[in-house]
Amino acid sequence: MVEPKSSKLLGTILLNLGVALGGIIMAWPILWMISASFKRLNEIYAFPPTIIPRNFTLANYQRLFTDWPFGRWYINSLAVAVLVTLAVLFFTSLAGYGFAKYRFRGRQPLFLIMLSSTMIPFELILIPLFILMSRLGWTNSYTSLIIPFMAPALGIFLMRQYITTLPSELMEAARIDGATEFGIYWRVMLPLMRPVLAAQAILSFLGSWNSYLWPLTVMRNRDSMTLPVGMVSMMGSITAGSEPPVGASMAAATLITIPVIIVFLFVQRYYISGLTAAGVKE
Amino acid sequence: MASQNARALTAKNTRGRLRQDRFAPYFFISPFFILFTIFFLLPSLFAIGISFYKWKALGVPEFFGTRNFERLLTGDPIFWQAVKNTIFYAVASLFIVAPLALLEALALNSKRLKFRTFWRAVYFAPIVTSTAAIAIVFRMLYNREFGFLNELIMALGGMPVDWLGNRGVVRFSVMGVVLWRWTGLLAIYFLAGLQSIPDELYEAAAIDGATQRQRFFHITLPSLRPVMLFVAVIVSIGSIQIFDDPQILTQGGPANASLSVVQYLYTRGISDLLYGYASAVGVFLFVVIFTLSMVQLRLFRGGER
Repeated sequence: MVEPKSSKLLGTILLNLGVALGGIIMAWPILWMISASFKRLNEIYAFPPTIIPRNFTLANYQRLFTDWPFGRWYINSLAVAVLVTLAVLFFTSLAGYGFAKYRFRGRQPLFLIMLSSTMIPFELILIPLFILMSRLGWTNSYTSLIIPFMAPALGIFLMRQYITTLPSELMEAARIDGATEFGIYWRVMLPLMRPVLAAQAILSFLGSWNSYLWPLTVMRNRDSMTLPVGMVSMMGSITAGSEPPVGASMAAATLITIPVIIVFLFVQRYYISGLTAAGVKE
Repeated sequence: MASQNARALTAKNTRGRLRQDRFAPYFFISPFFILFTIFFLLPSLFAIGISFYKWKALGVPEFFGTRNFERLLTGDPIFWQAVKNTIFYAVASLFIVAPLALLEALALNSKRLKFRTFWRAVYFAPIVTSTAAIAIVFRMLYNREFGFLNELIMALGGMPVDWLGNRGVVRFSVMGVVLWRWTGLLAIYFLAGLQSIPDELYEAAAIDGATQRQRFFHITLPSLRPVMLFVAVIVSIGSIQIFDDPQILTQGGPANASLSVVQYLYTRGISDLLYGYASAVGVFLFVVIFTLSMVQLRLFRGGER
């Protein structure tokens, strides 16, 4: 029973129209944000809105760096995201390798403990971890955003899943050549893990770059804030009567989101494979 | 001959390295267990401990028995308002966001869609954006007087809506941001599920004369069951932990109409410095999420057999 041709054509048209309409709605906030960041306040709120600004201005971007320590926030966010990602790559791949390629006493229960640790919601430890950071003197310091998060269980799981599929013969060969166990990991296994390392790097970087609750809790000084925290504080610090920094906040939002979206377009494949491997499989 | 040599060599090497071999894996996995113990396990136990104390910052903790929990569960209308709001977010995510994500995945998977790669990029890009940045953009779009949304409604002849100031509307406005940021992520999971359905199933059905609708209900939907289950679980756990969106859009207002449980925990613990009481909220969250995770485990196990 083949469907009539006309109804199939109608379906195709509806499908394409629907996707296009939804796509415009999805893209609209981003387009509006970029466009507003180059406009003055009266044009931002003009209706119908102009996509290409009539009076193009860079004033919003300049204000970011003169009225707020935006450059400092950018460096903070970038440094934390890069450092946490490097640490995560090292510790998760090492532990994933340990779980995947060695038979040792307690392996199964230790692996289960690691997996079940993901059931602890971060909110449960928000207060104690905040107290601990204060006692250690780590508040307002990168350490509070990096050290506790260097070896995430889900990352180790993702690595283990991948490493299990790698051949063990190479390890044996390296052992015969007299390589140390760490040397086998570093020189033999790590180069084979590039795809999964890429996926993990993207997930880690994004998680750190976009995270809000924890940096909001521990980064209290104006100069130690990360981008999301600093950006929100820009909006909150409006005193009555002063002009709300609408344009400047759109410039900030643009600088936070657009580089990430551009990189995403290039590495989409790794990102998606990482997400689905960590999630759906097993 | 050569292989015999190699085997002899391996044996010798293995003996020499036995010690190192035995300890190496423990050494490799130890960073996780050290960090986990210091920064997650002990703090969790500490949180459960202090939930039985009355402890205001800088003060001395005072044993309080179960009174934090009694007050939380029976005498705290704001907490219950937050629970209600959070349930609203979870239910709306399950029954609006997730089905839309499935629809999105089906559309983006269809061979009849033109410019598939382009549209996928458009629909998936929101996933990587910072919720803080996007919530501020939405705050502008939702603005009562000058916001794009109200301007559009008025241009179409409608009445402007107080998106962030009306108690009845504000939770839907929060869901607008959630919808925008989360559908793409869920669609990726559905898409992976769709692509793992073998083509032969569809071909066989087509030979048997099944219509497109029959193929959808008898092949696609049943094959997606595990993915749906997975999505349902991450959506419910994720919505229970919602914080960024209502915090930045409305700070929980007006009059707590959009306040989530995690926002309430944050306010009590970090703003009011009521460590004991906020930890009781944390324990409540933990019990709910732990229960959901156990249900998930059961369901997945059940699905496998």
